[in-house]
Amino acid sequence: MRDFLGNIGSAAGLLLAGVCRLFGLGVRILAVSVQGSPTKRGARREAFVRQMVLCGFDSLPIICLVACSMGMVLALQGAYQLKQFGAVMYTGSLVSVSVARELGPLMASIVIAGRIGARMAAELGTMKVQEEVDALTTMGIDPVRFLVVPRCLALCVMLPCLVIVTDAVAILGGFVIGVMSVGINPDLYLAKSFDALVLKDIYTGLAKSFLFALLIGLVSCHQGLSVQGGADEVGRATTQAVVTSIVLIIVVDCLATAIFYYALPT
Amino acid sequence: MSPSIIQVKKLSKSFGDRLVLNGINLVIPEGKITVIMGGSGGGKSTLLRHMVGLTKPDAGSIEIEREDIVRLAPEKMNDVRRKFGMLFQGSALFNSMSVFENVALPLREHTDLSDEIILIIVKVKLELVGLTGFEDFLPHQLSGGMRKRVALARAIALDPKIVFYDEPGAGLDPITASMIDQLILDLSQKLQITSVVVTHEMQSAFRIADQIVMLHKGKVLEVGRPEDIKTSSNPFVQQFIKGEHEGAIPFRQTREAYLKGLLET
Repeated sequence: MRDFLGNIGSAAGLLLAGVCRLFGLGVRILAVSVQGSPTKRGARREAFVRQMVLCGFDSLPIICLVACSMGMVLALQGAYQLKQFGAVMYTGSLVSVSVARELGPLMASIVIAGRIGARMAAELGTMKVQEEVDALTTMGIDPVRFLVVPRCLALCVMLPCLVIVTDAVAILGGFVIGVMSVGINPDLYLAKSFDALVLKDIYTGLAKSFLFALLIGLVSCHQGLSVQGGADEVGRATTQAVVTSIVLIIVVDCLATAIFYYALPT
Repeated sequence: MSPSIIQVKKLSKSFGDRLVLNGINLVIPEGKITVIMGGSGGGKSTLLRHMVGLTKPDAGSIEIEREDIVRLAPEKMNDVRRKFGMLFQGSALFNSMSVFENVALPLREHTDLSDEIILIIVKVKLELVGLTGFEDFLPHQLSGGMRKRVALARAIALDPKIVFYDEPGAGLDPITASMIDQLILDLSQKLQITSVVVTHEMQSAFRIADQIVMLHKGKVLEVGRPEDIKTSSNPFVQQFIKGEHEGAIPFRQTREAYLKGLLET
């Protein structure tokens, strides 16, 4: 019993320490972003644009594939259930609301955590191992400003954009199934889809995706920069970055939904 | 002896319960080449990391031009860092950037020079290390020796007063290593750059050094000119110079001595 409690205690302590470190990194990023860079050069803007292309544009195909499949599955399963109540025509509403509120931000963030978070952690971890981060420090260049800020900013800008694409493609996927397989009238399907959606569904989804982007960036960069040692540490940090990001995304999603829909006045 | 540029006083550092640096006192003269030598695990790289401010000591001070970098605020430290460059053991070039971008990075970050001037400076620096025309190559397209030279060009991009070298000859063939040695000598003689070189290669040390510092088990064993070190009466120093496996540090230790050694470190 004492061991058990001790384990819980030490796990909680580790968790708290991790949260504090993440928070510390976040504060440093904020400080650096607010104070701006002493020399405004094309180099940093270039890095920012490159990161945006990497995590935004290059992720489009996989995001579209996932979104389309998700919309189709939702329509198939939803129609099957709704048929029992004679409410098949509400399939469109089901798909659009659940995608805009929850599944769009969640799925896009999870895909990006796997695609970009892992990449960041491995990249920064390897740079740490090869003394490149030390080289930056000895050149008087802050690694947080030079490496972490462009990555986190790019994620925070691009993930909400990707979520909009996800929402649209998923609704399209649902539409295809609803019309072709379930046999709902196309005009009726679209009308029901957009009638059910309110603006709040969209913007809470986008707000959440912004939070998730921050989480992915912070966790992945932190894991990458905390690598010490060799290749196995880089592997560990990469795995840890993805797992921690996904778990945190789901937990924060739960909290955010509770706050947006139950704590805040509608 | 020329005036000192770096002064290390009573520097101590331990990792866990292992004492890596044990009260190091050291003076680095300006404009000269100082070689820090010692066996593996003797604390030379740790000493170097302290001098460039990458590691904080447990006790003691390091003064670069009479400024104690141990107790300096991080922003001030960046001003001090502009006075020196560092050549890392593995070159530490940024793999996603071309040779030009690597060398231009400190200039772009720390100066307001226009792109044309930066281009000229980078060309001059690459010329200095004998790599004219390699601007557009990526680091992985270069050989180990060439990468070292690019890293050296990057280290001297801001015309530093001091350059630190961490094992400059490591992983290079003898000819390339001696070319790097010649570059270190050139920089010191032509540009009056103070050089601090960490190495365990005797040949190269005697070729370039104005002053040699022998480290052993985290302590300074002996300091002197290369001739003094060669004729030193210290058995550890002699064993190290001659590269013998038997000597003051025994190859096969008795069980008691082995246990004692284990418990000491």
